[in-house]
Amino acid sequence: MSSNAAATTRDGAASPEPEPKPEEDREPKPVPTLTVDALTVRFSGLVALDNVSFTVAPGTIHALIGPNGAGKSTCFNVVSGVYRATAGAVRYAGKDLTRLAPHRIARLAVARTFQNIVLTHGTVADNLMLGRHSLTRAGFTSTALRLPQAVREQRRHRERAAEIADFLGLGPAFDKPVGSLAYGDRKRVEMARALCMEPKLLLLDEPVAGMHPTERVAMAETIAKVRDALGISILIVEHDMGLIMRIADSVTVLDFGRLIADGTPERVQRDPAVISAYLGTPAQDEGTQP
Amino acid sequence: MIKLAETILNGLALGSVYALIALGFVVIFKASGVMNFAHGSLLLFGGYVMARLHDSIGFIPAVLAGAALAAALAGLVQLLATRGLRGAEIHTLTILTIGVDVLLSTELNRRVGADFLSMGDPWGADVTQFGGITVADARIASIAVAVVVISGFFAAFRWTRWGLSMRSAAADPEAAALMGIRLDRVRLIAWCVAGALAAVAAVFLAAFPAAGLDRTTSQIALSAFPAAILGGMDSAAGALVGSLVIGLTAAMAAGYQSELSVLGSGFADVAPYLVMVLVLLVRPTGLFGSKELTRV
Amino acid sequence: MSDTLSPDASPATTAATPPDGSGGASGRRSGTASRAGTAAAGVLLLLALPFYVSSFWLQTGLFAMAAIVGAIGLNLLSGTTGQLSLGHAFFLAVGAYGYVWLAGDPSGTGSAQLYGLGLPPLLAFVLAILLAGAAGGLFSPISGRLRGMYLGIATLALVFLGHHIMLNARDITGGFNGRSVPALEIFGFSFSDTSPDGLAVLGVPFGGLERLWYFGLVLVAVAWLAARNLLRGRPGRALAAVRDSEVAAAVMGVPLSRYRASAFIVSSMYAGAAGALLALVFKRVVPDHFGLLLSIDYLAMIVIGGLGSVGGAAAGAVFVALMPHLLTKYADHLPLLSAPGTTGSGVTPGDAARYLYGAAIVLVLVFAPGGLAGLAQKRPRRTGDGTRRNRRFPFRTRTTSDSNPQGVEGTTPKEHTP
Repeated sequence: MSSNAAATTRDGAASPEPEPKPEEDREPKPVPTLTVDALTVRFSGLVALDNVSFTVAPGTIHALIGPNGAGKSTCFNVVSGVYRATAGAVRYAGKDLTRLAPHRIARLAVARTFQNIVLTHGTVADNLMLGRHSLTRAGFTSTALRLPQAVREQRRHRERAAEIADFLGLGPAFDKPVGSLAYGDRKRVEMARALCMEPKLLLLDEPVAGMHPTERVAMAETIAKVRDALGISILIVEHDMGLIMRIADSVTVLDFGRLIADGTPERVQRDPAVISAYLGTPAQDEGTQP
Repeated sequence: MIKLAETILNGLALGSVYALIALGFVVIFKASGVMNFAHGSLLLFGGYVMARLHDSIGFIPAVLAGAALAAALAGLVQLLATRGLRGAEIHTLTILTIGVDVLLSTELNRRVGADFLSMGDPWGADVTQFGGITVADARIASIAVAVVVISGFFAAFRWTRWGLSMRSAAADPEAAALMGIRLDRVRLIAWCVAGALAAVAAVFLAAFPAAGLDRTTSQIALSAFPAAILGGMDSAAGALVGSLVIGLTAAMAAGYQSELSVLGSGFADVAPYLVMVLVLLVRPTGLFGSKELTRV
Repeated sequence: MSDTLSPDASPATTAATPPDGSGGASGRRSGTASRAGTAAAGVLLLLALPFYVSSFWLQTGLFAMAAIVGAIGLNLLSGTTGQLSLGHAFFLAVGAYGYVWLAGDPSGTGSAQLYGLGLPPLLAFVLAILLAGAAGGLFSPISGRLRGMYLGIATLALVFLGHHIMLNARDITGGFNGRSVPALEIFGFSFSDTSPDGLAVLGVPFGGLERLWYFGLVLVAVAWLAARNLLRGRPGRALAAVRDSEVAAAVMGVPLSRYRASAFIVSSMYAGAAGALLALVFKRVVPDHFGLLLSIDYLAMIVIGGLGSVGGAAAGAVFVALMPHLLTKYADHLPLLSAPGTTGSGVTPGDAARYLYGAAIVLVLVFAPGGLAGLAQKRPRRTGDGTRRNRRFPFRTRTTSDSNPQGVEGTTPKEHTP
């Protein structure tokens, strides 16, 4: 299917050795299943997630929806290792992600974007190359001395990053500072940086929030294309119901940190609990997120 | 035994002076997120004003004037920082205080020169004896004054409008601003309070058994940095505990110098830093500092 | 512009043509030719200087070179990674004393006894750099875990502990009076006034300073290029990410502690090289030189130069290092200044230099936060890590929801609009 299996191979070898293997050694492996199992997160007494379980099947787009404060972002932060879970587990590729530091999770080819754009300073290329961090291994010495393998590695990965930038329509902006880009473009740089990690599991936190309608349509197509072309799993948090219903293969609905529905978009849409908790809200809140 | 008691008393006195300085660090850090490297210079400035004025206006008015002027100077630094660097970063502000410190300390050092300036304090070289223990009156006074001033500070922090604003601003500046708290004013007051506290500390750093205020007085104030860090930069209570730990450490190391001769002469000066490093090894944000909320 | 994304089948064989034709590390090509011309002219000028200027200028220039090397190192730590260090002077001391101890011959007896390994000086120079790096590595439990200003205060300890050790480890450091520095020697060629004696090039006598000048130039060139390569490569991007957003860096696979500690070690090695060069120029190392003021000098250099830029750090280093020497030399001709040792009412040159650079720090930060480098490029550069307020650079929004559970959903009231 693909060689993005980077992660799965690495994952077997990840524990004993700190540095990731060079990508040449990788063999294609199937996309693993993500299982969130009875996850509970408490912040000083406040329950953000309460015993939530769901499964993201390989190669699907799985949406996580719910009103503001439902616990969606918390869930993302636990899966990507930014927050620690109070109880429960997140199983992926034979590991419990709740026990791993974020950079170890990144080496399992789990990539994420942020609701508020979090880019580093520098050019689009710099940001995308940061996404290649786990896939490359040039260290301080070889980089400082410009040893041939470091130079070669950088060139090779820059080509791939440029390819991904082109895919997201960022080709002309590749060498521009991210600070000079428009909002929608920066949002796409986030997406491109995540894709640069050659993920098997992509976590998208409100990828179209604040975008123009035309940009939204384009981004929705891009997301669907990523799934179809790369066969990877995508977990997406989004307030744009139209977009979710169009591209999601399955939907999990959270409310007040609890899971209230789980299933296909059609089924969830008809669920009375969901309607009362969430879908009663008109889609006006789209775009209110910064 | 008597020596131990004296050493402990000295440590407490030193700790109480450090507490005045360290509280200033903490207040500024909570309000602005800045480590104020100009604090030693503010302290020296307050002390210098007192030393120059006490002959003409008397000790107590001189102390008040010194504290007021140090507070005003601290406020000026804060104004410079916010006016000039609206929207700049915390690191930048911290380095800015280093620049201010270079300017202030150069000027003050030039004025003080190689002299030891008398503070005109009423305690002089008097000592009090009880139960065989000999303590300098200035040390007893430092403990008493520190207890009063610090209690006043905590009361203000707990019960005044400024204290409330200050605590909410430290917890979440944006929310506080939305609630109508004027952050600039809260910060300004915080810096002024810190400046005044430092000036009061100057009195006791220059008092007996020290020979008077001299250019190294501001460097002694640096020892309050370990005190503030040890307790956790954003914890006022931590600053108190840290100050006592550092004060006792320094007094012990100085009092038992001969027993500690293996560690080299002048070990008392570095002992506080050693203790700080050891604590930070175990707790990277100090004893009472807010822990990292992110696991990364 | 393609609109399909193929799986990354084999990056080694795909995409034969570079995306923008440059295929290089930086992709910046505009003005390269004219910049290369300027650089070449500058290098030629520097190479020719020993033939024309007096030893005062050579010595001052060598101080500046040591400062450049040290400042580039501190800039990697503070400018690029956003970690504050006040311990730079300590690592300069490790480099300086390390060189003296490694290269020096044992001498003296009794209480005046000095140890030394008597290694070949060039080897000692390299080992002194590694020694400083090792000292930085020993500090990694602190440097890897502490962030920003906490590290700044913690490194304060290094300066005081270092000073204490320098004073007390007399049989290695020579105590308060310090220790004389053995001259550098490469394959029998000595960087001193002797051996070969009376060396002259094109009729110009080449003594120790002239010879060291070229060694200094090579050291600066190596330090500069290595830093530039680092910044443009994988480690540099990771370090900048640690500064800009720890959460983003970690999620991209950057182990934060390891990179923080690594930046500290690299910065220590630069300081070690600077210290060893400084020792060679001074010909004597004394503890009092390596105090807190020296650390603050280095912070001033990188701030004045502009945090995060190699060239800026070098410019700031030249400014801070030259200022006291120039003011001292021309004290008689400058208003308000009194020459050192005189009892005039004027400001001593040393104080004047400190006023100037104190003011430079404040003015640069308030009016030109990009420092000299920012002024040269005429566009705002950023400094520090900027997670709190970032109005000047609005493209990086706050990461409250990632770093502060108080701000995440869960505390926000749920919206139930009918």
